[in-house]
Amino acid sequence: MSIRNALPVGLAFVAFVGAWKLVTIVSGFPPFILPPPEAVAVRFVEAWADGVMTPHAAATLREVVAGFAVGAGLAVAVGYLLARSRLAERVLSPYLVAAQATPILALAPLIALWFPEGLTGKIVICALIVFFPVAVATMVGIRSVDTGLLELGRSLRATPRQIFVTLEIPAALPSILGGMRVGVTLAVVGAIVAEWAGAERGLGWLVILARGSLFDTPLMFATLVTIALLGVALYVLVVLVERRLVGAR
Amino acid sequence: MYPRHVRMITAAVALILTVAACGQSPSPSPSRMLTVGLGFIPSVQFAPFYLADRAGYYHDAGLDVTFQNRIDPDLVTLVGQGGIDVGLADGTSVIPAVSQGIPIRYLATVYATYPSIVFAKASSGIEDAPDLAGRKLGIPGRFGSSWIMLQALLRSADLTATDLQIVEYPDFGQGAAVAQGAVDAATGFANNEPVQLQLSGEEVNILRVDDVIALPGPGLIAGTSTIGSKPDAIGAFVVQTLRAMREIAADPDKGLDAAIAAVPELGQDRATQRAILLATIEMWQSDLTRARGLGAIDRDGWTESIAFLTELELVAKPVTVDDLVDPRFIPVD
Repeated sequence: MSIRNALPVGLAFVAFVGAWKLVTIVSGFPPFILPPPEAVAVRFVEAWADGVMTPHAAATLREVVAGFAVGAGLAVAVGYLLARSRLAERVLSPYLVAAQATPILALAPLIALWFPEGLTGKIVICALIVFFPVAVATMVGIRSVDTGLLELGRSLRATPRQIFVTLEIPAALPSILGGMRVGVTLAVVGAIVAEWAGAERGLGWLVILARGSLFDTPLMFATLVTIALLGVALYVLVVLVERRLVGAR
Repeated sequence: MYPRHVRMITAAVALILTVAACGQSPSPSPSRMLTVGLGFIPSVQFAPFYLADRAGYYHDAGLDVTFQNRIDPDLVTLVGQGGIDVGLADGTSVIPAVSQGIPIRYLATVYATYPSIVFAKASSGIEDAPDLAGRKLGIPGRFGSSWIMLQALLRSADLTATDLQIVEYPDFGQGAAVAQGAVDAATGFANNEPVQLQLSGEEVNILRVDDVIALPGPGLIAGTSTIGSKPDAIGAFVVQTLRAMREIAADPDKGLDAAIAAVPELGQDRATQRAILLATIEMWQSDLTRARGLGAIDRDGWTESIAFLTELELVAKPVTVDDLVDPRFIPVD
């Protein structure tokens, strides 16, 4: 990023921190209700330096990556099926929409009970929340492939596999990756909700611990900052992959 | 005739105004108005507050009391901020909260026996902490008073959480899990899950932490600024609440009726609510309160608990008992 591009980003950050500081001064809230940015910054550095944050961030990252991989992988396959089979769309769509409309906060405790051990329950919760946007983006992307190109491919006796690999996927990729941009940030939300439903490690669990047992509000905010940074980093990663595969949009 | 009518009407209006003025009690001054935070769900466990309110004890003491239902962490923070004047909160929450600079004080003990327990069906063979080794235990989460209690209990048997198979029930379904046999034991509250299990005809074993360490149970807390600005109101509230506790301990039905009047839904199963209230009353009492009266604060227990919570790394900055408790409002028997 050039200095010219970085400047507005830096200024926006300074403005955000300034506004936060102003609110703490004007509102008169004590630090245990709304800590000032400098207190959160100090706690953020402390928590990373003394090793409090690292295992929790690593645990959440594992859940996000695994949940996103499973959810997005399944979503691409189902999205393709929905795009190419009207019957599949008619049969599956109501269930997909219903699953999306059901609050993950209500489902998470049940899933945590069905899969009480290890990562499985958390991956399922992440995958569920990632699935819908990626599946819909895939369906839309595949359906938007130029029918003239498909007919040309068939007239040149291209196999279905060749059409899929050389025509459909490249043409649908911008849409699929757009869905993944949304999906990866939702995967972070899914991991946090999954940890609230039962965990012994993770950033979501650290938020509960900081708020409910330690009464350490700066640590809670530092954890929220870490969660936000994790979401931003993963989003940027998907954007970089997108630029590499389909160029800047 | 006309002037006489005017005189009669004027006299009648004056009489009505006089009667109305006599019937009205003076509005309490702001310094006598208290917002009181209780637990998240209205319950028969809060019978002393309902009785003192319904029977007019607070009113007669010049107080205007409003109740709010909040979860423990929110309550502690709001009391510290002054958004709520008095709260019923766990003593084990007060220690880390004060160590983090939240300006609150514990004013009087309500639960002299620690209410968080481990319970199991008698048929499980779990009678004491060492029996938990290798067993499946249901908990709501690895935080809060039940987690602190469990660690104290396990430590007394030279066990850690890794020696058990812990199953989390974030929706607090661990009581049902014990009833259905999904887990061997669970953490819960002595006046809730075990009572319900016993009422269903099951014999229940309860493992209490009080034999291991005298953790401070839920009690009345207030912010230091509120104590400073409304000392008379806070004092009157403590006195009247303890009075209601004493009366309910002597006549539980008095408390039950007040709770049902305040929360009519509780009347749908009076027998269960009565059993819960009896178990609650039992926990208001300990050797200390029997000697010194309800509300008494166990300073030795607090000292021991500070050390234990420090070991658990829940105490950010060192605190003393005097930083945590303010027993000046407890009437001396």
